Amino acid sequence: MRDPFNILVAGVGGQGNLVCGRVLADASAQSGLRPVVGDTFGASRRGGSVLTHLRIGKTDWAPLIPKGEVDILLGLEPLEALRAALEFAGDRTVAIISQTKIPTVDVNNEKYEYPSLEKIIDSLNKLCKQVIVLDAEETLTRIGSMKMLNSYILGAMGALTQSPLPLKIIRESLQSIFGSSSANIVAFDEGSEIVH
Amino acid sequence: MIDSKHETIMGGNEAIARGALEAGIGFCASYPGTPSTEITTILLDFAEEHDIYVEWSVNEKVALEAAAGASWAGVPALCPMKSLGLNVASDFLLNLNLSGTGTGGLVIVVCDDPRGHSSSNEQDSRFYAKAAQIPLLEPSTYQEAKDLVPFALRLSQKYEVPVLIRSTTRLSHSRGLVIMGDIPKREWKAGPLKDDLFNVPAPHFKHRDLLGKMEQISKTFDESKWNTNPAEKDLDVLIISSGISRRYSQEAIHLLSSKDIGILNLVTTYPLPRRSVVDALKKTRRVLFSEEINPFVEDEVRSLAIDLDNVPEFHGKRTGAIPTFGEMTTDVMQGAIANLKNIKLDKRNKIDSYILIPRPLTFCPGCTHRNFYWAVRKVRKRVGDKLVVAGDIGCYSLGVFYDRAMTTMQAMGSGIGVATGLGQLERFGFDAKILAVAGDSTFFHACIPGLINAKHKNSNLTFVILDNETTAMTGFQTHPGALHQESNQKRVKIEEIIKAIEPDFYARSDANNIPELIDLLHSTINKDGLKVLLLDSVCVLEEARRDPIVKETYFRIDEDMCIGEKCLICVSEFACPAISWDKTMGHPVILDQLCVQCGACVAVCPHDAIKEERVQ
Repeated sequence: MRDPFNILVAGVGGQGNLVCGRVLADASAQSGLRPVVGDTFGASRRGGSVLTHLRIGKTDWAPLIPKGEVDILLGLEPLEALRAALEFAGDRTVAIISQTKIPTVDVNNEKYEYPSLEKIIDSLNKLCKQVIVLDAEETLTRIGSMKMLNSYILGAMGALTQSPLPLKIIRESLQSIFGSSSANIVAFDEGSEIVH
Repeated sequence: MIDSKHETIMGGNEAIARGALEAGIGFCASYPGTPSTEITTILLDFAEEHDIYVEWSVNEKVALEAAAGASWAGVPALCPMKSLGLNVASDFLLNLNLSGTGTGGLVIVVCDDPRGHSSSNEQDSRFYAKAAQIPLLEPSTYQEAKDLVPFALRLSQKYEVPVLIRSTTRLSHSRGLVIMGDIPKREWKAGPLKDDLFNVPAPHFKHRDLLGKMEQISKTFDESKWNTNPAEKDLDVLIISSGISRRYSQEAIHLLSSKDIGILNLVTTYPLPRRSVVDALKKTRRVLFSEEINPFVEDEVRSLAIDLDNVPEFHGKRTGAIPTFGEMTTDVMQGAIANLKNIKLDKRNKIDSYILIPRPLTFCPGCTHRNFYWAVRKVRKRVGDKLVVAGDIGCYSLGVFYDRAMTTMQAMGSGIGVATGLGQLERFGFDAKILAVAGDSTFFHACIPGLINAKHKNSNLTFVILDNETTAMTGFQTHPGALHQESNQKRVKIEEIIKAIEPDFYARSDANNIPELIDLLHSTINKDGLKVLLLDSVCVLEEARRDPIVKETYFRIDEDMCIGEKCLICVSEFACPAISWDKTMGHPVILDQLCVQCGACVAVCPHDAIKEERVQ
């Protein structure tokens, strides 16, 4: 594993960015590593963008990932994934993004047009080494709701060969937050099976 | 937080709260403000278990005065607040420094917000340490954030001066591993006050005595284990860092694999540990300053270096090597070091970001502040745009983004204060109607003197209080007028205060009823004199937190009534996030997952196309 290994979680307030950070930080500590998690959540309650920076290493790193240094980008929302990638992605960034859009207020009033998924993925491919697009809507609606997207994407990340943390340990950390019978665990398992 | 010797993941604010418990504080008074709020929230959670007194005071000045009272009586006290809060408390602080804190000890924690993520400015509060001549400590790690609180309290107890700890957003709101210590057995007891707790008739002697204490404190800072010196003897560049900037500096050196560069990290930043700094300056050819917001340490070091024989080259905010505004980052430090060392940084290929669109902040679905600003917009049209809205600080500050419904927005309580002045200008030809807006927590914090001034001076204005009965912006802290009160607290009703001031006109109305709201607002601003409207408002987040919403009805668009693209009033003007425009269908849709069934949009649609239906 690179030291530091950098994971950036991008989403919209209410999508559970902070929980992703908590789970991965706990899993890192359980793996004997030193996590540092920086959240930008001042706007989270009012529909704004939320970023969670996770640094994992043998020492404490700074709370923000330097530009270009992201190893894994977890995009809970396509537009927010692009926003984060434009600022922080680099040559070794692997992006895992959910394709389900959350419109902005400006999109609602037609001032701006929400870019097409194809355009977003096209830009992400230019910015990142690899882009993995998840279509989680059907699965998550069946399990409960899109609120569990954060657990689903953590499962997908844990199953990647590039994951710095074992799938099993991330799952245990998720269980310690939600309890073992939570639908979030089902969402996590579904997510882990989608990436091979 | 788990009580153990093992390392625990803690946020900066959580670490400060834990540090306060390990310091043995008995009293904490505070007013909520991002990024400082969690310190007091956590202490409130532990208040009963550890038998400490914790309160959300009415404002930061009262909080600091209350904390000083405790300290004077021998009870160790903590007073956390955000940057702007210290402005409010500063009048008392610049007297308390001379009077002294008594034996209890008093630690003030101020959390600055570089870049103003959640603030109306980006102020550097360290200047209050210099203005008040009190010691200043800046933690640079989560562990220090915790461990500095007991150290600060001992320092305050020994010298009887208030001690200021300064954090910034990225330390307060990031998390890392911390080794916890024990919470001590209580050794203090509240006792009688000294009889010299005032500065008159000779404040200048009190000033002299304070400066004497600071001289001694500077010497103890020289011996301090908190500051870390560079290991190297001969340096090309010495970085002098403070706070979280230390981490950015370390990482920038790592990324550039720079040689002959070391860090002097200062935790005791005021008064400067003069000998340590001078020793470090002698070992280097150049100095680069790494700190957040203003060149505070930079200026102190520069003025200290004037007396040296060989002054190194200084680079920092004063020379433009470091940006003079915004947040510190690893990238900023990397750029500054690369410039000094003539290293060429790999420029990443910029790709077009033209497809990126902004995601602006907005009122939550069901928030009645939107209803109020909708009414303001309608009334503004009715009076031919001759309306000034003097705004205030809270969720409703988002009114600046909502069709620019708010004209001014500065400090807590400033809306009514500004309005009292504007309300006198008719004699000079000012012909707009004046509306001041504030929330309930802000009303108690800073609006009452302004309102009394308006009454006394017969100012011609309308003051609207958006009363959702909680401090919504910072996470639902209680305040004197809050609906939910602790059993040991007594509710103070805003309405009774207004009535006691006897405005020329007073009315109370429901912010959920938009048509009534528009008419009331319009008729009120047309009256002469001081008018006050108390609007019963709703914070949907607070309601959902206490009482999860049970959906009995839902709302839908009646496609036969909706005229689609020709109108767009509900989507583009009212702009509730739960109403979305469906291009393919050619009419708006209500997003069931977001809608909270407030029904406000029904009155907004001029075509009666929004219908309420019962859930089957």
